[in-house]
Amino acid sequence: MRPVHPLLRHALSGLAGNVVLLAGLSFLVFVGVDLLPGDPITSRLGPTATPERIAAVRAELGLDQPVLTRYGDWLAGIVHGDLGRSAAGQPVTELLSGRVGNSILLACLATACLIPLSFGFGLAAARRRGRPADRAISTGSLLLLSVPEFVVAGFLVLILAIGLRLLPAVSLVPAGSSPVRHSEVLVLPVLSLLLVGLAYATRVIRAAAAGTLRAPYVEFLRLSGQSERTILRTAVVPAVLPVAVQIWLLTGVSMIGGAVLVEKVFGYPGIGELLVTSVQTGDLAVVQALVLVLGGATLAVLLIADLAMVLLTPRLRTGGGAE
Amino acid sequence: MSRLGKAGWALFFLLLLVILIGPAIAPNTATHPVGPPYAPPSGRALLGTDHLGRDMLSRLLLGGRPLLLTSLAAAAAGTLAGSLTGLVAALSRRRLGAWLMRPLDAITAVPPILLLLLCLTALPNRTGLVIAVAITSAPLSARVARSAAAQVAGRAHVENAIARGENWSWLLGREILPLVAGPLLADFGIRFVAAVYLVAAAGFLGLGASDTDWGRLIVEALPGAALQPVALLAPVIGVAFLAVAANLASDRAAQNSRGLLA
Repeated sequence: MRPVHPLLRHALSGLAGNVVLLAGLSFLVFVGVDLLPGDPITSRLGPTATPERIAAVRAELGLDQPVLTRYGDWLAGIVHGDLGRSAAGQPVTELLSGRVGNSILLACLATACLIPLSFGFGLAAARRRGRPADRAISTGSLLLLSVPEFVVAGFLVLILAIGLRLLPAVSLVPAGSSPVRHSEVLVLPVLSLLLVGLAYATRVIRAAAAGTLRAPYVEFLRLSGQSERTILRTAVVPAVLPVAVQIWLLTGVSMIGGAVLVEKVFGYPGIGELLVTSVQTGDLAVVQALVLVLGGATLAVLLIADLAMVLLTPRLRTGGGAE
Repeated sequence: MSRLGKAGWALFFLLLLVILIGPAIAPNTATHPVGPPYAPPSGRALLGTDHLGRDMLSRLLLGGRPLLLTSLAAAAAGTLAGSLTGLVAALSRRRLGAWLMRPLDAITAVPPILLLLLCLTALPNRTGLVIAVAITSAPLSARVARSAAAQVAGRAHVENAIARGENWSWLLGREILPLVAGPLLADFGIRFVAAVYLVAAAGFLGLGASDTDWGRLIVEALPGAALQPVALLAPVIGVAFLAVAANLASDRAAQNSRGLLA
């Protein structure tokens, strides 16, 4: 019998694992939060609320049912594409429509800038290992790596919006319009996301390329008189690419999380802003739905990253070698 | 790197000192108005005033300590819980170890900021903040502890102790922990960097460690940034310095501890 193609095998086992993880995650998100000390109702209504009022709100939100019953209902709804209702009674899917596109646009633009820049910086630093250019890039990325996105966004507002007056400090997008039509509002949010992601991606790509450049086979190519261009194209780039693709995908998906705060800085109309507002008003249903959706997106991207690594690594792709 | 690491430690300790004695040397209270709103820096308010005319310097000095202590507590709780799980997983039989680690893997699939928001919605206070940050950092700590301990668990002195019939606390405390303490401490540094980020982010959302949390100062200063840029610049620099200094210090600690597991 012909063996299953290794890519298909990876995809199937990854998919099965992800479904299990997602089920576990939904349980943690719903039941785990319920087990936390404290009570969303009391904290929302304040300490002056009467017991009758608390009981009324509790019954209205269905919180008087046992937690496993509520979890079952919630899960059944999600399987049918219903993400539940916000505390104000609006369906979560309705709240999300329109905003999801805006947030994805932000993450995609930042990732599109990230890919060439991090590859270029990483390779340039690795080729000049230990020299001033490398030290500048490595130090700069180490410093930038730990700074929260919203702090970077604050710096950018100060420099570009207030100091130089080049760009708007607030992303004012008229209702019903798309941010694509007002491209100047996109610059600062994308730049804030890009800078932090770039620091991380550059460091990893630099490390991978520096390791490859010291490998015996690269030394052999160099000694046999191949040009630097050929060495880069035939030996270094193929070796670095699997790592780089992983990092780009991971950074891209982590931008969805980082975007939450950046969107808040600029008032950009994405899911981050909705999420923040829901947290501040204690709207647990919306937050739970969003966490599950974004967790699912993260798992999906991680699976794609896994498959990309299989595709880009000949030994894994053909199913030979140690695998 | 080593010069940068030393500079990192120096900056870290200086910042630590300022943050810890900050509340004692703050010239004004956090709530008392000292001048008109959005006043530029002057002799009375060295960093100017905020949107309610309160002294920015005092608010900055008062906000540092809760931010730092909450981050420390959260990182310590996360590392402790994670390390314990990881050590037990490394010492126990394979099946049990896998069962201990699997739920933690599910947690790592969620971006930390989302877990933070989820916990803070359910429990919007400082305890919730510490729990949230601890939950996000425990899975990664557990992985580090497990892989560090797995290298040690098969060594002769550990097998000898098992054969002697020593109990769990002896095995963990006397045989394993001394050999893995270095990596665990370095890991704690990394968790602390992440904790500073998350606690500042919570402050930014208005759910932070105190009313003058640096993250909160940033979000309050944003609308008036054109009128009083110093009010935005000061907390932005504060968070950036703390994050960078903690990162450099933990990077150096991690490099130093690598030799311990040889």
